[in-house]
Amino acid sequence: MSLIALSDLTRRFSGGVVALDGLTLELEPGIIGLVGANGAGKSTLIKILLGLLPPTSGRASVMDLDVQRQGTVIRQFVGYMPEYDCLPPDTSATDFVSHMARMSGLPGTAARERTAEVLRHVGLYEERYRAMGGYSTGMKQRVKLAQALVHDPRLLLLDEPTNGLDPAGRDEMLALVRRTGTEFGIAVVVASHLLGEIERVCDYLVAIDAGKLLRSGPLGSFTERTGSLAIEVEEGSDRLAAALASHGIQAVADGRTIVIAVADDRPYDIVRDAVAELGLPLVRLEQRRGSLEDLFRDGPTDGRAPVAATASPAPGAAPR
Amino acid sequence: MTQTTTASGPGGSIYDLGYRGYDGPRLGRRSAVRALFAHAIRTCFGIGRGGRAKIPPFTLAGLAILPAVIAVGFAALASQAGPGGEAIEQASPIRYESYYGLVGVLVMLFCAGQAPELFGRDQRYGVLPLYFSRVLTRPDYALAKVFGLLAVVFGVVLAPYVVLFIGRVFVAPDPVTGLGDEIGALPKFVAQALLVAGLLGGIASLISSWTPRRAYAIAAIIAVFIIPPIIVAILSQGGVGNADIARASVLLSPGDILVGANAAIFGSIPDSPSVAAANLPGWSFIVAAIVGSVGSIALTVRRYQRIST
Repeated sequence: MSLIALSDLTRRFSGGVVALDGLTLELEPGIIGLVGANGAGKSTLIKILLGLLPPTSGRASVMDLDVQRQGTVIRQFVGYMPEYDCLPPDTSATDFVSHMARMSGLPGTAARERTAEVLRHVGLYEERYRAMGGYSTGMKQRVKLAQALVHDPRLLLLDEPTNGLDPAGRDEMLALVRRTGTEFGIAVVVASHLLGEIERVCDYLVAIDAGKLLRSGPLGSFTERTGSLAIEVEEGSDRLAAALASHGIQAVADGRTIVIAVADDRPYDIVRDAVAELGLPLVRLEQRRGSLEDLFRDGPTDGRAPVAATASPAPGAAPR
Repeated sequence: MTQTTTASGPGGSIYDLGYRGYDGPRLGRRSAVRALFAHAIRTCFGIGRGGRAKIPPFTLAGLAILPAVIAVGFAALASQAGPGGEAIEQASPIRYESYYGLVGVLVMLFCAGQAPELFGRDQRYGVLPLYFSRVLTRPDYALAKVFGLLAVVFGVVLAPYVVLFIGRVFVAPDPVTGLGDEIGALPKFVAQALLVAGLLGGIASLISSWTPRRAYAIAAIIAVFIIPPIIVAILSQGGVGNADIARASVLLSPGDILVGANAAIFGSIPDSPSVAAANLPGWSFIVAAIVGSVGSIALTVRRYQRIST
């Protein structure tokens, strides 16, 4: 069974904006990261999968059910956490989440039990009886996740779940998403514009840009290609760069810092030896995780065409 | 920076109590629609949205029932007065046929106050995507809410009639003959309550589904209920425009339609001079009320089918 299958999926908005442009993709259950810059089409894709928006052309299916014709069946087993605020301020979290459980077809008693369960799971305790207007952003995000989980879905669609959270809040939310996906076997699609965040929770990544598929594959294949090592030395960065170049490693000097691409373990030894031979005062060695910018580096920031040319997930593209 | 992976941090967070799946029944769309209908009824009375939200609906419903309670008390006193009492009772202004004229404005205010809560809140706070990503469809959502409001308005209109009915049955010297005397009014006031609920509730639903802003919706609903009868009255005063247009315009004014329907159902003289002056057949008011109800409900459903989320 494929979790999500898209075939030439296109969505145009009135006014000529193309949010999704011929997207073809097949995804297996797991924790899937959906990355793209703001406006890349992430939210549009999620809304089509939920049946909130009809596609202009092409087909999409979730758990082998067509989103257009079997939307009601799909929605029974899908949980959705929208990007924006969706909580009435004068209602308590308990009342709201249990109402949402009933809206998913759960009987009254089960709805109340599941609400208590799921609010505890996301870490909301005494405050769940208070009106949500007084909640912090972190608590609101938790309620939004709780309402998506309350009917025990098989697929969770999360649109920017860390929106507006401070670093500690982000860590907690990501840990929660990771646990939900790994421990309970719920397939998760997390949309985010922050690759650094998404790679901490996902097994599989889908990158889209301007509505086109940029790349999709297991997380490893992404970090491999986008990983880099920053070497900071007190002095002699130019000498180090020359030494590395003699070993065939292309280095970019940026003041006292040198950045090299790492595809495997080999450069680490060379760097260590080169620094030791030259006797340079080494300040730090830092592994730079791939960022979204790395994914899009091949194309100019505004010209979409060169990016589109790499749309097929063919391996072998030069990392830099 | 707090380390959040610990079981109990400074905020006392303990997350590792586990998560259990749900293997119980999933009752699907019908159950969700029924639950939303019940939720809409509670929302109309302010239940589940704080203490202060309960004051306006209960006050208006209470005021609507008050004349009936007074009338029953009055009838009880009159029956104590012996043979002369019947004449006193006959003179009471609070009767089935006059009741809509007494409380019509209260029902309009009830609709204007509660329909925006029912339809505007979910738009204002962005809750619609959460509903539409669940088992119910957009028409399901709209119909559950509309019929929730209609049921409440029906109840608010019907309750005083029922008080009047029961009171009059038991005030009668013999309850069995009392029942025989009163039973004829039962289908009449049920019909009138249905028309009031359908037309006022339907129009209030339609208007408030168009704006997330509560104040705009309230103002628009009151305007639609209050202003047309004034225009009709001016037109029917004569002189202004075509007399036939003046007569027909009564059928575009929700307030006048219900006055006309009330007179037609109870076989009485319309409370409003402009409705009486229009001299239209009684059935035309009933048809207008039904068309207005069905039309406004259909347009509300259409609005939700097109609303962007």
